[in-house]
Amino acid sequence: MSYYFAIIGTQDNPLFEYEFGTSKQGGDGVARFPEQARHMNQFIVHGSLDIVEEVQWANGSMYLKCIDRFYNNFVSCWMTGGNVKFLLLHAPSQPAATTTTRTSIANPTSPQTEEAIKQFFTEVYENWIKAIMSPFYHVNMEARSPIFRQRVVAAGKKYL
Amino acid sequence: MTTNNGSPMGSPSPLGAPSLRLPKTRTGDPTSIASSISTLPYRASNASASTLFASTTTPSASRSVSPNETATPRMQSSVFGGVGTPGDNQLAPAENAENTRNLILKAFVPHIAVHCSEDTHELVKDKGFDGGLWELLRPFGECIKGKVTVRNSMGGDRAWDDFAVRFVQLGDGLEAPDTRRSGGDRGQSVAGKIVSDALAAKRIRTGGELSHIETLVDRHLSHAEEYPSMNSEDYLNFKESKAQNIEIPSPFYILFLRRILSGLPLAPHETFAHPVTCIIAISSRNPAPIEALRSLYNDTNQGGNNLPVWVNNEFLRYYVLVHDEERDDISKSIALFDQMKRHFGVNCHLLRLRSSHCISSDDDSARLPRSEWIAASEELAEIQAREVQEDFEESQPCIYESDTTAIKTFIREMVAGSVIPAMERNILVWNDQVASRRRGISGKFLNLSRKWTGFSSSSRASSSTGSASGSKSSYNSVHGFYLPAADEAVMRKLADYAFMLRDWKLAHSTYDLLRSDFNSDKAWKYYAAANEMAAISVLMNSSSINAKVRYETVDQMLETASYSYLTRCTTPYGALRALALGMELLRLRGGSAIDDAARWGAKILESKVVGPVGEALIKERISGCHASKKGSGSGNWGSRNRKSALWSVLAADAWLTLGKTQQAKLRLDYAAAKYNDFAWKNGLEQWNMANFFLQGLQREVVMALYPESGIEGTLLPDDIETENVEESKAFESRPHRKSWLGGQAPVLTGLDNAPLLGMEESEERGEVDIQFE
Repeated sequence: MSYYFAIIGTQDNPLFEYEFGTSKQGGDGVARFPEQARHMNQFIVHGSLDIVEEVQWANGSMYLKCIDRFYNNFVSCWMTGGNVKFLLLHAPSQPAATTTTRTSIANPTSPQTEEAIKQFFTEVYENWIKAIMSPFYHVNMEARSPIFRQRVVAAGKKYL
Repeated sequence: MTTNNGSPMGSPSPLGAPSLRLPKTRTGDPTSIASSISTLPYRASNASASTLFASTTTPSASRSVSPNETATPRMQSSVFGGVGTPGDNQLAPAENAENTRNLILKAFVPHIAVHCSEDTHELVKDKGFDGGLWELLRPFGECIKGKVTVRNSMGGDRAWDDFAVRFVQLGDGLEAPDTRRSGGDRGQSVAGKIVSDALAAKRIRTGGELSHIETLVDRHLSHAEEYPSMNSEDYLNFKESKAQNIEIPSPFYILFLRRILSGLPLAPHETFAHPVTCIIAISSRNPAPIEALRSLYNDTNQGGNNLPVWVNNEFLRYYVLVHDEERDDISKSIALFDQMKRHFGVNCHLLRLRSSHCISSDDDSARLPRSEWIAASEELAEIQAREVQEDFEESQPCIYESDTTAIKTFIREMVAGSVIPAMERNILVWNDQVASRRRGISGKFLNLSRKWTGFSSSSRASSSTGSASGSKSSYNSVHGFYLPAADEAVMRKLADYAFMLRDWKLAHSTYDLLRSDFNSDKAWKYYAAANEMAAISVLMNSSSINAKVRYETVDQMLETASYSYLTRCTTPYGALRALALGMELLRLRGGSAIDDAARWGAKILESKVVGPVGEALIKERISGCHASKKGSGSGNWGSRNRKSALWSVLAADAWLTLGKTQQAKLRLDYAAAKYNDFAWKNGLEQWNMANFFLQGLQREVVMALYPESGIEGTLLPDDIETENVEESKAFESRPHRKSWLGGQAPVLTGLDNAPLLGMEESEERGEVDIQFE
């Protein structure tokens, strides 16, 4: 599994981006997105905002689960109180996976995956709150704090 | 600057006209894609050939609009699905013009086989139609003048004024012999004989060949690239260009869809291409008319040399006496016709035609209308023939006005007076005798008991080699078909008849019954086709379905259909047809169904049933699907603008890879307009990689369209912004224009344009004003 995590501000602007791979099942934590298609992650996540804007009204909780799918890429969403969205794109590692075996690798909508992503989001959310409490941070500013990045990396390693 | 190529049929586009620069294609060699798809050589279109491309060059608004468009209700499932004023529920009038529902209506129409005697063939040949009577009739069957009343199974009458029939030669439409299956049925063994010219001509009229469809669309596209009809100057100020309505499918997509649906192959698993009626025609030249009629009738009845065993032989015979106005005595013909009337009742007609060859300079000559529903391979052959032919006048067959009237009257009388009543009668009888036994509780029990008692025997039979299947199941699992007398075959025919007469409810309920039968018989092709048509008939019905029901019925059926077609039968054509039709019909339903439509579109791409051209078209269409979802409230919540723009970008990417710059430009203009339309301007600007990719595409289009303006192109405001972005962000890797989908990469990666790559690299080094030509 490869992950692309983005925090998106209220004006569709990315505040934070981070690509990483799974650390479970012997993964080395390195993202394996195809090199020519890395811009697609941004496109997909940007496109998913359409769905976020629709489902955010139907769901009371902050964790909106897996909301969108683009080919083999699944997008999960966490909605913060300040209309900042956490979007996590997860894609099976080998892009050339045959369609027949695809489902057997890791079901992205299974309860286990959803739970793991939820824990990841929760931890990131806690750190996010702390990061934006900084007096030098204002709305829709890119999050440049190295501490925050470290914590996200740690959360990714821990849960995903 | 514009060429007047947009004009319909009438004026051939001037050859020397394109004063604007010919678009430089990506490959520099426009033939490479076309020739990689087929061996067809590409020639510069001449004037007469360009009329053949009229279907994609005429403005879409000029096409016929059917007035009986039923309002499609919206669903109430998602939060925003049902919101909105009733006014904006209705389809925009412009959308009706290219309504795909009409296309589907006109695709599944009764087929009428034509079987005529040698002398009739000669008479028609004298008129200049080598193919025979069916060729003369075919264009007129596509739109029957006046209303045609159809009685449905509930006893209600409904008048349609866009009813159509399709004329084919008896025995047309057989697929090429299937080598995978051992020991084909009788029809295939016939087809396996020495391929004579006639047989090759028949084969060419059979649709369902995806590579031909792709090649054809590619030819149309190449033509459009050569003679772009829009003013290409407005690219430079594309931000001000009016937002095009992407919900109207492009003419190329319509052509693609139409060719998928034309020339439906004659196959055992669906009976749309099976003849509903057979016209038996003799002419007044015949010395022994009664014997000729008898032998022609026997021909159609024995089935030996014409139709395979799985075609139901009990179709209506319609007898036509073609009278030669110029050579023969009308009183003799009338006497003969009276005799025929006494024998055959209403099912006969006296068709009075002039036998001399009509040329366009004759007094009351008119062009024979072009048939819209010819198979892709036939149209390809026509384009090819026309391109080598120099003489424009000769290539368009003409027909006398009086003949036109006679033929139209004949077709109308036959369809309204004989064909439809016969179909209604068949539906009534079959529904009564076969289908109603299976409906209701008792039918379920019957089916259940049949299944349980037949279980062991049928499973044994299908596993044993070569023997006929068990006594309970009438499916011939060795050859893969039902005999026409079997209940299942009759019910399939009943459902297809109901579908062709637009009785969606009856059609759907019958298909639904059939699904379980075919499933238990493991007749996978039948099963797939029944699922496909069940889904389509429920979607054609104008009553609303809520999301849950839709999930349980339509989704499941389409899923099963595509799975069975692809995995069990390896028939990508069937899968593509099922999914494309499902996508179109779901899109028309509006609301949350549009999400489903887009999902099925993506499914088409995922299952890789289409080639490069089809893929670009489908991507474009998915973008259109997303665009037709309307949001609500001030924030346009629930709309799919971003997705629509995303798919447009992908489509543009695909078009560029194919070297279709004009199409790519259209899509990019659209995407740029969308991205600028968001509540906050330039919603994509801060997404550096995506933005860079988009700008790269735009630059590529400019480069391809105006090779000499490349240097000014880099001074556009957009590009200056790009430089800034590039300077502030360090890229580990530069997004590359290569296809990012694993599957289709090998064909397309070689197509990257050399000057373009050079440009990207040069910019990375920061040397903006490097010379490239």
